[in-house]
Amino acid sequence: MRVADKMNYNQSLGNIQKNRSDMLTYQAQAASQKRINKPSDDPLGASRILDSRNEIKGFEQYKRNILSAKEFIEFSEQSLGQATELLIRAKELAIDQADDAGSGPDTRKIVATEVRQLYEQLVSVANRTYGDRYVFGGYKSTQTPFDMAGQYYGDDAEVQVQIDRSSYMAMNIPGSIVFMGRKHVPEMIDGQVVGNPTSLSTGPKPPEVRGLDSVEGDESAAAPHIGTKPVEPEGHWGPKSVNIFEVLTELEYGLRANDKTIIQDTLTTLDHSLEQVNLARGELGSRVSSLNNGLETLEKLNVDHKAMQSQIEDVDMYELVNNLNKTETQLEATLATSGKMMQKSLLDFLR
Amino acid sequence: MSSRISSTMNLGQRALANSQTALHTTAHNVANQKTEGYSRQRVEVQSSPGYGHGKTRIGNGARMTSIQRVNNPYMERQLGNEKSKMGFLNGQAQGLMRLEQVYNEQSTEGINTSMANFFNSFRELSTNPESMAKRIAVKESGDLLARDFGRVNQQLHAIRGDANSQVALNVQEINAATQEIADLNKRVQNIEMSGGFANDERDRRDLVLKKLGELTEIRWAEGEDSTLTISAAGNAILVAGHEARRLDVVASPASGNKSEGDYDVVYYHSDRGEPMVITDRLKGGSLGGVISVRDGDTREFKNKMDAMAFEISRSVNEAHAQGYNSFNRTGEGFFESMNSIEDASANLKLRPAIIGDVGRIASGLEQNSPGDNRVANRIADLQHSKELFDGNTSLVDFYKGMVTELGLRTNNINAAVETQAGVVKQLDNLRESYSGVSVDEEMANMIEWQKQFDASARIIKTADEMFDTVLSIKR
Repeated sequence: MRVADKMNYNQSLGNIQKNRSDMLTYQAQAASQKRINKPSDDPLGASRILDSRNEIKGFEQYKRNILSAKEFIEFSEQSLGQATELLIRAKELAIDQADDAGSGPDTRKIVATEVRQLYEQLVSVANRTYGDRYVFGGYKSTQTPFDMAGQYYGDDAEVQVQIDRSSYMAMNIPGSIVFMGRKHVPEMIDGQVVGNPTSLSTGPKPPEVRGLDSVEGDESAAAPHIGTKPVEPEGHWGPKSVNIFEVLTELEYGLRANDKTIIQDTLTTLDHSLEQVNLARGELGSRVSSLNNGLETLEKLNVDHKAMQSQIEDVDMYELVNNLNKTETQLEATLATSGKMMQKSLLDFLR
Repeated sequence: MSSRISSTMNLGQRALANSQTALHTTAHNVANQKTEGYSRQRVEVQSSPGYGHGKTRIGNGARMTSIQRVNNPYMERQLGNEKSKMGFLNGQAQGLMRLEQVYNEQSTEGINTSMANFFNSFRELSTNPESMAKRIAVKESGDLLARDFGRVNQQLHAIRGDANSQVALNVQEINAATQEIADLNKRVQNIEMSGGFANDERDRRDLVLKKLGELTEIRWAEGEDSTLTISAAGNAILVAGHEARRLDVVASPASGNKSEGDYDVVYYHSDRGEPMVITDRLKGGSLGGVISVRDGDTREFKNKMDAMAFEISRSVNEAHAQGYNSFNRTGEGFFESMNSIEDASANLKLRPAIIGDVGRIASGLEQNSPGDNRVANRIADLQHSKELFDGNTSLVDFYKGMVTELGLRTNNINAAVETQAGVVKQLDNLRESYSGVSVDEEMANMIEWQKQFDASARIIKTADEMFDTVLSIKR
């Protein structure tokens, strides 16, 4: 083959440029420690990385959600713990006053005052705030859920918080359920209501604000009538549901009226009250433990995704250094041979 | 009949002149060793017809017939075709690589991140819808998302702007090339009409022709009169005889795949004719590549961004309008409502009311329920909802699909560029192997011709001495 000088130059230049361009690629990889520096480096890998980054961002958010929900739930549980103590004290008092041994109308009056205090403390527990919101008010979190008459101004809603891509967890227990034994009508089934566009059209429920005037006509409002049995026979946790405020009011009434039978009756309803609060605490506890599980799962997924991401986009240093060395050697060889080849000419031998 | 001394002298003189011409040509070759498109030239020498009769017919030296370039027109045409393809791929690759940079989130944060942050801010809000701080975070992330769409829109706009300048520049280059070819047509014709070979002019014309081919796909043929006729975009004749027709660019109105102000390429059939728009028929070359990225890929990805911005605005607003805000008002959107998908990515903005007061963000489905987070949950769920884009895909998948598609396209074009560069290099080498200058060869020729020059001079000297000898006979 006839070789023109330009071929030599072009060839040398082409080879040098190829080596230099390889070097540049490897240098960019070494600097960023990434194999994929733009989508076209590996389109499918780049797409998986986008996915994975999205997921990781999601995990971080779900983690934050779980932590907030956990704090909220733990605070609710703590508050209910205090309610338990109050009820235990009330029960002790009721047992003491259930028979006539060692108690009479006068002592019962004094005890009644203490029961009244317990009642007030219970109202204040039920009106606990966490941060800027009332814990037991349902969605109505900025208005005091209970007044001194035990009248409830909140609603029965559970605040659902997203804890992973597809599931939600309620972070509150409405006061109507735990203190008033009202039956909970789940609005959301497994949290699936959220994001289902068809449910949007049903619109919001009519507001559940009950003013004091509306109490008389509203049966479900469970207005505290002294001496009545709990209005709702079937509550959230079965047939034993009671309105705890009413139970305490009844106990106070029995004590003041010096009526042994009423006091004895409240022994059962106080038991039910305790059970009701403890069941609520139990539910909160199990929520916390499933949140903890969720947290663990998220951590694990997070690690898995990061590992996968690293595998896709991170450069294999050993291979990279190897490639760099190889290219460098190649470049040196190309430069050396090109230098020799380009120098040589017939001219060198003519005198 | 015998030879004459004067005849020998003449022969020597011609040989001397021949070698001088050949040396000159060698010098010309060496000088043009680096000239692009140059074909080495060769002196064709023939022996002159002898004289005399019978067995003593005497040779009469050598004569030059022509100086011709060593060139294979078929190879040149093939190289031109491949270079034209290369131009097209390069034009596309440059555009796509810039486009890719807009969507490159390998090292920086882009739409993917701001979208995730936006929906996560609603998840965060759902844990505490009463909180002003979380509402502000929602506002901020919504604003950032909107601005990110605006950034992409602007960058795509800038790419189109650059493509337009590229189109204008390419058209200028095409005009310069066609004018030069028309001039060269004239010179080649003048030289060759008188029977010569227009070696250097033809080299130059071939080179400019190839450059023209790199700019746009052309068809050409050489006529009997040695002139090239060139047409592009189907039937637009760019060069005929000594005349070149200019192309021009005009700003087009917004229509179909063009935005207002995009350059159209126009051709004039005659000096006073109506301009004819040939933009869409300019297929190959770098001009074709640039146009295809401008009107094809860039447009397509802008449309996709618009569709996405519109879908985000529509679905978030729909969910948001179901809810009640802190002022117990319902039916209000989160983003400003948009009427059309066109330019939605530039028009995506938060409603001023929400920027002014984050209490206007609706989080719950019920009024008077500050703790109600159902709307926040619904909006957060839109991130992965497959019900979007008419029930076809989710926002996340839509964007991911876009980036993958662009990556694949760029990747394919880059691979094609590499392959095509190999083909061009191969053909370039073949051409150089045939037509290129080899200094070694020229040096060898030079020595040969120099030797001949010396020898011819010696012959003249010998003839001169012979004259002297003859003249001295009478003394």
